[in-house]
Amino acid sequence: MWQRIGKEIRTMPWGVWALAALMVFGLSVALYRLYAGLAVTTNLNDGYPWGLWIGFDLFMVAFSGGAFTLAAIVYVFQMHEFHPAVRPTVLTGLVGYGSVLVILVMDLGRWDRFYHFILFPNINSALFEVSWCILLYTLVLISEFSPVVCQKFGWEQLGCFMKKIALPLVIVGVTLSTLHQSSLGSLFVVMSERLHPLWYTPFIPVMFFVSSVAAGLAMVIGGATVSRWVFKRTLPRNLVAELGWFLPWVLGFYLILKVGELLAAGELGLLAANDFYSTLFLAELAIGVVAPLILFSFAAMRRNRNWALFGAVLVLIGIFINRFSVTWWALKPIEGYFYFPSWQEIAIQVGVLSGAVLVYTLVGRYLPLFEGTVDVERAVRISKGAPAAQPAGD
Amino acid sequence: MTNHAMLIDLTQCVGCHFCEAACQANKGLPADTQLVTLRFNEFTGEADAFSQEMGRKQCMHCVKPACASACTVGALRKTADGPVVYDAARCIGCRYCMYACPFQVPAFQWDRTLGLINKCDMCADRLAAGEQPACAAACPTGAILFGERDALLEEARQRIMKAPDRYVHYIYGEREAGGTSVLYLSDTPFAELGFPEVGYESPAHANEEVMHATPTVAAGMMLALTGIYWTVKRRNELMHRHPIDFEVEEAEHVAENR
Repeated sequence: MWQRIGKEIRTMPWGVWALAALMVFGLSVALYRLYAGLAVTTNLNDGYPWGLWIGFDLFMVAFSGGAFTLAAIVYVFQMHEFHPAVRPTVLTGLVGYGSVLVILVMDLGRWDRFYHFILFPNINSALFEVSWCILLYTLVLISEFSPVVCQKFGWEQLGCFMKKIALPLVIVGVTLSTLHQSSLGSLFVVMSERLHPLWYTPFIPVMFFVSSVAAGLAMVIGGATVSRWVFKRTLPRNLVAELGWFLPWVLGFYLILKVGELLAAGELGLLAANDFYSTLFLAELAIGVVAPLILFSFAAMRRNRNWALFGAVLVLIGIFINRFSVTWWALKPIEGYFYFPSWQEIAIQVGVLSGAVLVYTLVGRYLPLFEGTVDVERAVRISKGAPAAQPAGD
Repeated sequence: MTNHAMLIDLTQCVGCHFCEAACQANKGLPADTQLVTLRFNEFTGEADAFSQEMGRKQCMHCVKPACASACTVGALRKTADGPVVYDAARCIGCRYCMYACPFQVPAFQWDRTLGLINKCDMCADRLAAGEQPACAAACPTGAILFGERDALLEEARQRIMKAPDRYVHYIYGEREAGGTSVLYLSDTPFAELGFPEVGYESPAHANEEVMHATPTVAAGMMLALTGIYWTVKRRNELMHRHPIDFEVEEAEHVAENR
């Protein structure tokens, strides 16, 4: 047993060691942050009380939106051909939410009281709703992923039970996701005096929700190609193409929402201001919405793995710009205050993300994560016209 | 219960900073922490009158406070007798109130290991004992008037009417963010004194309208998802095929046609 563990550790690829080193360094800085307080370790201030960490939390939650989007496609709409993508996507969601929870605790002034949101509810608070939904949804993700662990360790009864309750779990999970993906946007509804009017709207929760669906789809599409490089396992190309087919619709709807809101609020003129804010807003729409919308409209592009990856990355860059705009760049400046993250903030963020990737990699090495996906050679054969994926048993 | 408020007549303020000192002494605050800050505006630069140059910042004690609406754990609360109070024993230090506040009032104890929020509570403990807030009691010129909100608004209107040349014809706080319990009179436009320009509706309104839609969204989503599941399942059954086989064949069909 110990010999085997020793051998596994010796044969670990260098990338795993690099991730582990970044994680250990980041977590050391994190411990120091908990001990020393926010003034010593961050550049946050009274003008910018939230910074890099909250921006990344918003981005990671949208990125992890693939888990609920795919769960709805496979279990509710019963498009079972997408089943092979479920396990990798749920795991991505799980490590994504895990990283968000760690960073949220880092951000709290009284991190020792993180459980207070359970004891002292304020139903008017968007952050209260977000906290509850993220907690519950993380539990749902753990349950959705549990059959994989049960299969590995031979706990058949528990595994069967979890598979039986999969549908109610998915329905609860998708509902919780709808709530907190949107209420992360609701956070900004109260910030009418601080957020630039190009971004501010009472409908921002709807925009957050729609864009999280796009981010989630992009995550699954991009992930298929990345796991082809890293794990030599991937989804059949026609499945990636079919997922890509959804994107122009979602992005198109998002574009209509964004432009329609400006039109309805009579703020379209702000786009012609040609200042920092209008450039930022247009950059998000051009890079993250219009470009991938056009790209994924062509069947040939959807079927080409490299183009699909490129398009998915564009969507994710757009979401990144959007989430960092509302938490940082598009806030009206306050005289005397400036924010740029400190090296400690960046180190902790990089450390936590490295930890998330590390967990994913190790689970991918040792647990039956890619059941129903195809190895790369088979993927090549299939894409040349052989039959599509076999449906997985669960 | 009286709806307590404060009317601060900046034309009577001589900039002595007694209010700041009294506040710090009463709350036992460290030297670098202030809940009330006078702001000296050099740019107005008329040397003959200090009063023209003073801005002031403290919690406005909104009638419908956005911070209380936003607070994750309900640590901020508007009391029936006027003050917006803060329960430090609940606060988790998430700092959402700092973004919610349209006047950028709440400040964070950045240098503490376990940081909390600093915010004026209109000396709620003194109010309960029948006294006026420490700053109002300390003001040597009577620039800080403590009393009932409607009466103070009436007093403010009277002052403007009696000396229309002396005041800008505006009561800051009468309507800002849905009205506040701290009201200001000035002889200099408020924007020049560093008072933020704030809309007349409390940000809490939009927030609560959106948040109260939550149960509807949750119930609607659950119903819709269940409905879609049954509809798709029934459709597949009507095709007299095992749903998985059907989907696979369809997928193959799609693949062949590409």
